[in-house]
Amino acid sequence: MLIGNYKETYASDEALFRTPATRAWMGVAAAAAVLFPFVAGDYLLYLANLVAVLALGALGLNILIGFTGQISLGHAAFMGVGAYGTAVLASRFGLPFWISIPAGGALATGAGMVVGAPSLRIKGLYLAIATLSAQVIFEWVFTNWTSVTGGIRGLNVAPASIAGFRLDTDERMYFLILSVTVVHFLLASNLRRSRWGRAFVAVRDRDVAAEIVGVNLFRTKILAFMVSSYYAGIAGGLWVYFTKVVTPENFQLSLSIQFLAIVIVGGLGSIKGTVYGTIFMTLVPEMLKAGTGVARAFWPDAQSYLFPLRDVVFGLLIVVFLIFEPHGLAEIWNRIKRFFSLWPFKK
Amino acid sequence: MKHSIRRLALVFAVSLGLSPAARAADDVVTVGACQPITGRFAFAGVAINAGLQDYLNYANEKGLVPGKKFNYVYEDSGYDTDRAVACFKQIMAKHSPVIMYGESTGLGKAIAPELNSRYKVLYASASFSSELADPKSHPFSFISGPTYSDMFSVLLEYIARNKGATRPKVAFFYSDTEFGKDPIPYARKRAAELGIDVVAEIVTKAGAVDVTSEVLQLKKTNPDYVIFQGYIFSPIIEVIRATKDFGLKTRFMGTFWSMDKGIIDKLGQDADGYMGVMPYAYYYEDGAPGIAAMQAYNKKAHPDVKYQPNSYIQGWFTGMVYVEAVKRVVAAGKPVTGENLAAVLDTIKDWDTGGVTGKVTFVNHKAGVGRVYKANAAKGVFEPASDWIYAK
Repeated sequence: MLIGNYKETYASDEALFRTPATRAWMGVAAAAAVLFPFVAGDYLLYLANLVAVLALGALGLNILIGFTGQISLGHAAFMGVGAYGTAVLASRFGLPFWISIPAGGALATGAGMVVGAPSLRIKGLYLAIATLSAQVIFEWVFTNWTSVTGGIRGLNVAPASIAGFRLDTDERMYFLILSVTVVHFLLASNLRRSRWGRAFVAVRDRDVAAEIVGVNLFRTKILAFMVSSYYAGIAGGLWVYFTKVVTPENFQLSLSIQFLAIVIVGGLGSIKGTVYGTIFMTLVPEMLKAGTGVARAFWPDAQSYLFPLRDVVFGLLIVVFLIFEPHGLAEIWNRIKRFFSLWPFKK
Repeated sequence: MKHSIRRLALVFAVSLGLSPAARAADDVVTVGACQPITGRFAFAGVAINAGLQDYLNYANEKGLVPGKKFNYVYEDSGYDTDRAVACFKQIMAKHSPVIMYGESTGLGKAIAPELNSRYKVLYASASFSSELADPKSHPFSFISGPTYSDMFSVLLEYIARNKGATRPKVAFFYSDTEFGKDPIPYARKRAAELGIDVVAEIVTKAGAVDVTSEVLQLKKTNPDYVIFQGYIFSPIIEVIRATKDFGLKTRFMGTFWSMDKGIIDKLGQDADGYMGVMPYAYYYEDGAPGIAAMQAYNKKAHPDVKYQPNSYIQGWFTGMVYVEAVKRVVAAGKPVTGENLAAVLDTIKDWDTGGVTGKVTFVNHKAGVGRVYKANAAKGVFEPASDWIYAK
């Protein structure tokens, strides 16, 4: 518990970043994020973009699962709806990205509203299966509605451009992706403190009790689904301009599972945990790859064992994290922070 | 004075550090590869990687391109497009190769915009998708063999040549994937041109195992031939067994991925009569100098290896094309760059690969030639059922 952190005005009580130290660190992080593309190479920049897009999508799922307690196995499908919406508007109608991405988000929101409707009646594992069917149905639509989605070959999209300035390199896309992601993270942080955010949490903790104190269950659950798929849709739209091609193979069940893993590893209901989870799930395999590269230098014939071993190590890491910290990476981080805020005066 | 000495020393040190790399660029040709060594394509990725690596080593040993050494750098990309793109960018940034190899159709499509505008390296992949065989949209890519459409063309040509008194009846049996659907529109057109009736098109999930209703459909339409596309083993094995139980006389055909020896091992006696198209000769074939060289290299490098799968030969042949392209660029006295290598592809005409494939002519950045092989269950091998057939 921090001492001496008094709130003397309403504004300071409402501030998102509450202590000078937090504000300073956020400033440092922002500066680092802006400078990053000028020092990082192609490879790191690509990974950074990937992390930012996936984190945005995963945040959507965290709002649904972590905040509201509604499980979904169809998150990749919503990302796909947003991506296809954006790609169709951009490639067929030539709309600029600042229309096509929000439109893709809106489309995904609509899809989320429909898929979320059964959530009033069914819960838990049953809801998981219902959303799984949404995943399968949307995947089928992406593959077979050839006249719109381009079928198995998908759609190619020209780079985003604004006033003649083409966002055709990873570096330029980085700033678009970063700014959209940051804005949406701030929105989510504020959402949690709003009436709706508190209603989400109330529904998660005990839906009957929430209804008794006046939370409209149906509206709240549907809204959670809509917000969640909106985030996925926006992530899908960014994805389209990032990869410049969209095919059904990009939005399969495995991606839904990956989102689920990100949210669980990062920390359910934690906004910064979503970021940690995405970084963990994306970068640790790459770090292990670098590790096998080093090992290969000493033991060249072992690649056929080392490469598959990497997946085993990755799986073990996830299990170990969950055993030692079921609240995810966010909680580990909090513990480290607490330790250092008193260090070295704590026994 | 002191400063200028220090600066001179610095310049000297920097030039010392850089000069090996600068010199290396002249006589070393770096080939990078993102191989699906793990993931669901690993069954082929490991062998493709070994084949490509072995051929480049072989070229170095034999000095196939005078004054040039090939340096092969590879990473695992796990058959995941995101990881593969990351791998591609990492290798490009770290090693700046002039030639790259990629794991999938997905990577080919995802990397295309940057390959065309920034990287400009010669690119081949494990994919036989006709989408990548388009010099207009993919000027730096080539298919190291025929596309799936070409493979269907070879099979249909074979059926047309061996028909009886009536019009042959064919069924297409394919999976609901990019891999399964790729050649189908072309195959329909080609069948009509050759006077072949397509009596059924059956679509399933990849790797489906419950095929009862599909087999009933085959029984109803009774085709002379069924061509599978988009599967490895399952459900080919189940379908063949089930139709045998029904007493159908239908003959079954596959394309590259379902033409490895493994399918004969799995089918056992039921393999007799199974046939399909192979772009390359098999490892155990005699009488082809190109294959004999491969066997000799393997005997030396991997003494305990008795058989190499068809994806190994795919990797080996891709290496042959890379080396041939470099050889032609060097012979023309041009620098070895991606642009020059891609330009030289179109000059490859009636190229003798020593029997590893038929004579190769690159048209639209693909080598549209293949041969029909038939399984011999007793010996457990595929045997040639036709000569090399050129796709139209």
